[in-house]
Amino acid sequence: MKGAGIDSTQARITADRVGKWFGEVIAVNNCTLTVGTGVVGLLGANGAGKSTLFKMLAGLIEPSHGTVRVFGRRLRDDVGWYRRVGFCPESDALPDWMTGREFLELMLRLMGFEKAEINRRVAYWLQRFELESAANRRLGGYSKGMRQKIKLAQAMAHDPDVIFLDEPLNGMDPVSRKQSIDLVRELGEMGRTVLVSSHILPEVESMTSNIILIDRGRVLAEGAVAEIRDKIPEHPTTVALASSAPRALAGFLIGREHVVGVQVDQENRVVVSTDHAVAFYRALPGWLLDNGLVVDEIVTLDDSLEAVFQYLTER
Amino acid sequence: MNRATNAAAAPMDDVRPQRSLPAAAWLAWYSLREMIRRRRLVALGLICLLPVLMVLAIRIWFSQAGVTAQMMLASLSHDVFMPFLIPVVALFVGVPAIGEQVDDGTIVFTWTRPVRRRAIYLGRLLAAQAVSALVLCFSLALCFVVMVSQGAGVLTWEFIRLYLQTMLIIVLGVFTYAALFAAMGTYFKKPIPPALMFAVGWENLVTNIPARVQELSLRFHLQNLVTAPAEAPQGLPGLLGALLSTAFHRDPVPKLQSVAVLVGVTLASAALGVWLFRRKEIAK
Repeated sequence: MKGAGIDSTQARITADRVGKWFGEVIAVNNCTLTVGTGVVGLLGANGAGKSTLFKMLAGLIEPSHGTVRVFGRRLRDDVGWYRRVGFCPESDALPDWMTGREFLELMLRLMGFEKAEINRRVAYWLQRFELESAANRRLGGYSKGMRQKIKLAQAMAHDPDVIFLDEPLNGMDPVSRKQSIDLVRELGEMGRTVLVSSHILPEVESMTSNIILIDRGRVLAEGAVAEIRDKIPEHPTTVALASSAPRALAGFLIGREHVVGVQVDQENRVVVSTDHAVAFYRALPGWLLDNGLVVDEIVTLDDSLEAVFQYLTER
Repeated sequence: MNRATNAAAAPMDDVRPQRSLPAAAWLAWYSLREMIRRRRLVALGLICLLPVLMVLAIRIWFSQAGVTAQMMLASLSHDVFMPFLIPVVALFVGVPAIGEQVDDGTIVFTWTRPVRRRAIYLGRLLAAQAVSALVLCFSLALCFVVMVSQGAGVLTWEFIRLYLQTMLIIVLGVFTYAALFAAMGTYFKKPIPPALMFAVGWENLVTNIPARVQELSLRFHLQNLVTAPAEAPQGLPGLLGALLSTAFHRDPVPKLQSVAVLVGVTLASAALGVWLFRRKEIAK
């Protein structure tokens, strides 16, 4: 599947038939993907290969085969391009002997910023993640959530165009989680590329509808959730239509294009199975107007990320 | 966070790597601060008290044996620092200098900065070398204090020259061993066993093989640099006599050759380490 209508000129991250194995274990297998601007969720169960793919994209490990590029460059060779890349690892490891402030200062210093600018950015990001009061404490004394926040801060503090966030919300309290989700969405709206991995569906769903599904080291699907949903023919999308005349509506819909099943449920809603939800939604208003039918509410029953994920990964 | 507010001072359009020298210097400074906090440094510090205790013992029990401060210094550097303390300190500081950060995953944060791999590696290596040298120089400084407490007569120009020369040789030695062990730490997943095999096995074995084979050990070249005192002691009793006679018997090569070998091994090890580090996979 091609990613969300991205052409090669918009692509910031590309992977071409990339694979990685450790001994006899295949972690990532023949993945091809393209990521443009905005937030993209990399979704998969634990052990699906998300982190390995992330590490290859961020230049931390070398693919066993295939190529990865960020801004058309191999980060492992063109390290200068890390000025435009931020990386938040999944691992909890931090230099525990440093204070939060020292850590951010060093990270920005290595990005080439001057002292005054470093101070300004450190102050901003400490405040943004509500870490001011812990700024002069050693990272070893930080809670799991605080460690997560300081990792996010170092990934964003230099204002990168491409940001890799590997399970960024692990260990965060609900308030921080909400703030971080808002921040990720904000970055996406500003035209940054944020590739965020998670194995928690609602987490990804709250940040973006644009996803890459990965399972057993393979990319199963890439694009908007609704588009991916449409491409699972063995599981037609189910739409419930609430109407004051359900039987008339049901009778009309039988045999229409893209409609593969119609029934009336216990709540008197017309439940339609469609093999092409997007086309069905496009055609439905016209059908209703032309035939004087009324629909009060339309609910898609199984185009959630969870349903898509389940359908695509079912064994 | 909006880019306009940050653009003025942000070098984001520049995609050149940071200049290696300042980046390495900053990394060395932060790494030095990290390394001196390690608990193992306390253990190494205690081990480095060994020569101080030896000098004290000689002063107390062999004060009438005619052992001069120069003789003690030459003997200590030849028989304690070079075969034992320098490799041990360099091993336990040098091996984890880079490998430990790779293993625990904290290297990710410097790896994903626009800093050349050689700057990261050399910054860490320099910090490890500096810490090792500081530990050994501290030990040597304590020995100096004990030696000069014999009286003002000890502080001759000859003695001070020998002391400074010994310190330089020790620093050169620990830089060489640390560079070698850091490269081993970068290459091996479990580097301590091979590093110990080199320090204890190879160095001991090869140094004691006569003729030119001994030149294949680092210790031989370090010991070759030690200046023997003007008057070799005669007829000293027991262990002390044996130690001192060992110190003054070797098949020498030109000192410049030994310096060249040690510097060469340091540079070659650092270059090898950088090469290995560039190919490293940060899998954690």
